[in-house]
Amino acid sequence: MFRYLVRRFLQMIMVFFATTFIVYALMYWTGGDPIQALAGEKPVNDVLRAQLTKEFGLDQPFLVRYWNYITNLLHGDLGNTLVGRPIKDVLADAWPITIQLAVIAIVFTILFGVTAGVIAGIRRGSIFDNTTLVLTLIVIGIPSVVLAPLAQYLFTIQWKIFPTTAGGNPTLWDLLLPGIVLGSLSVATAMRLTRASVSENLRADFVRTARSKGMPGRRVIGIHVLRNSLIPIVTFLGVELGSLMAGAIVTEGVFNIPGVGYQLSKALRTEDTPLIIGIVSVLVIIFLVANLIVDLLYAVLDPRIRYE
Amino acid sequence: MTDIHVSSSSSPVVGGGGRHLLEVKDLYVEFHTRDGVARVINGVSYHLDPGETLAVLGESGSGKSVTAQAIMGILDMPPAKIPGGQILYKGENLLAMPEEKRRQVRGKEISMIFQDALSALNPVFPVGWQISETLRTRAGMSKKEALNRAVELMDLVKIPAARARVKDYPHQFSGGMRQRVMIAMALAMDPKVLIADEPTTALDVTVQAQIMDLLGDLRRDLNMGLILITHDLGVVADVADRIAVMYAGRIVEHADVRNVYKHPAHPYTEGLLDSIPRLDSKGTELATIKGLPPNLMRPPTGCAFHPRCKYAKSVCTTETPLSLDLGHGRTSACHFAKEMLDGTLR
Repeated sequence: MFRYLVRRFLQMIMVFFATTFIVYALMYWTGGDPIQALAGEKPVNDVLRAQLTKEFGLDQPFLVRYWNYITNLLHGDLGNTLVGRPIKDVLADAWPITIQLAVIAIVFTILFGVTAGVIAGIRRGSIFDNTTLVLTLIVIGIPSVVLAPLAQYLFTIQWKIFPTTAGGNPTLWDLLLPGIVLGSLSVATAMRLTRASVSENLRADFVRTARSKGMPGRRVIGIHVLRNSLIPIVTFLGVELGSLMAGAIVTEGVFNIPGVGYQLSKALRTEDTPLIIGIVSVLVIIFLVANLIVDLLYAVLDPRIRYE
Repeated sequence: MTDIHVSSSSSPVVGGGGRHLLEVKDLYVEFHTRDGVARVINGVSYHLDPGETLAVLGESGSGKSVTAQAIMGILDMPPAKIPGGQILYKGENLLAMPEEKRRQVRGKEISMIFQDALSALNPVFPVGWQISETLRTRAGMSKKEALNRAVELMDLVKIPAARARVKDYPHQFSGGMRQRVMIAMALAMDPKVLIADEPTTALDVTVQAQIMDLLGDLRRDLNMGLILITHDLGVVADVADRIAVMYAGRIVEHADVRNVYKHPAHPYTEGLLDSIPRLDSKGTELATIKGLPPNLMRPPTGCAFHPRCKYAKSVCTTETPLSLDLGHGRTSACHFAKEMLDGTLR
């Protein structure tokens, strides 16, 4: 176990360097002209350009710039955005909102996706099963660029149940509809995964054993089947939570939520290279940690898994 | 030897009690599938008394396991359907019981162990937890009491270092030890009947003998009735009192174990016996029964065995043989059972 953790940790370090390097390289070679982007429409005179180039270190060779960035990062300094705001502050404002959004989405997924999946798995071929299968197919088929504005139109403009946009300092209520929209894709996947897992385990030999021990049906399903079905579901939910933490560019954009996805899309639009790299670096770390936790949880849920 | 009774209609008399511990009477089971109806059990009758071992023998698909699952009440219905018959436990018809009452019988009165203990045990719970599950949920024991009892049961089935291993998971045991765990689990509620469905098929030959010995000892010590389902004639000789040979959902021969080995009264039994490898006939080709078991969606006319029978006559293709009483509780469902016994059948 200890050796496994050490190995995973070393892998994570390598993945971190590789991804940040690739992102940095991509931004370096395709990044357009950041100084012009900073100035917007106005022309930039040569003196100012020279001064800014020196200030941001744009005249340095690529490897030197990457090295400087990494050493600063390891000291906890993410640098400043092009307009001079510390990236740390930008993230400190955006992440709590994104985390709330992610938690709403996951809770919604568990509440509806997993529950519906369990019922559909038990009653395979029933009306409930077929209806939910068709519904999930529709949800999976609609991209969020369509689903988000559609939900916004129906629930906030047509029926006026939820606030239309979230704005600067969103409350949990403001985030509820965006969270549900964000979670709906996970709901569909979770439901199908749960259904498959439950119906497979229902046919397992150990279920027959539990029944022949005279266990009542609810215990056979609630303990023997569910405990086994949980293994792939928890894995899925863990990875899903990890990617939801990365923010949702479309959903946050549509509902005007100043989360990580919103900041990232803004940074892309304004060609704010330091901010893009800063956000992506932290995203990589979050994703790696989430995956490690999922793998460890997997070993807890399934005693057959042993990490050597 | 045990009093033998086969024909289902007459009332049995055993040890003055007047009824058997377990009695299957003229049982029918069919499976309704998209492709049609498969009649997998066609009028099976057998019985079992305390302390006795009945071996149910037959190829895969002969209905031996399905009969056992019908006794346990763990057939999936649908697709399975039981259009006729009775299963009497201590005189009460299990098939007529409400499900809740039936559930109380399962595991407590009649218990079952399965072929592949690795898949029959739940992979995510420790063996002690699984052995003690019935004790906690049905016998009202505390967690600690139940776990102590689980250790005792593991000692009973001769699992070494039981106390140290009670929290281990099924995959951490060897095949033979896993089957012992299964047996310990089945014995937790002191059942009166133990059904063992091919308990040694998935095991090494040396381990097979150990498990069979264990089952025989437990049956004697606990005075249980044991139904031993197998396709292996070699396994049953030492342990069984009586043998019921099944073919295509019927019992084709039912007799005292020694009689069967000496003089089979049904061509199918003879075929099974001939296909056991023997040391004294080394070098000669092993005898087999030609052909395949019948498709139960479209069973052959007459005797279901006639397409594979080396003695088949024209009557066999048209008329289904009835179970013929040969005396001493012995029956055979062959038109020429008497000739078989005389050795005059050609």
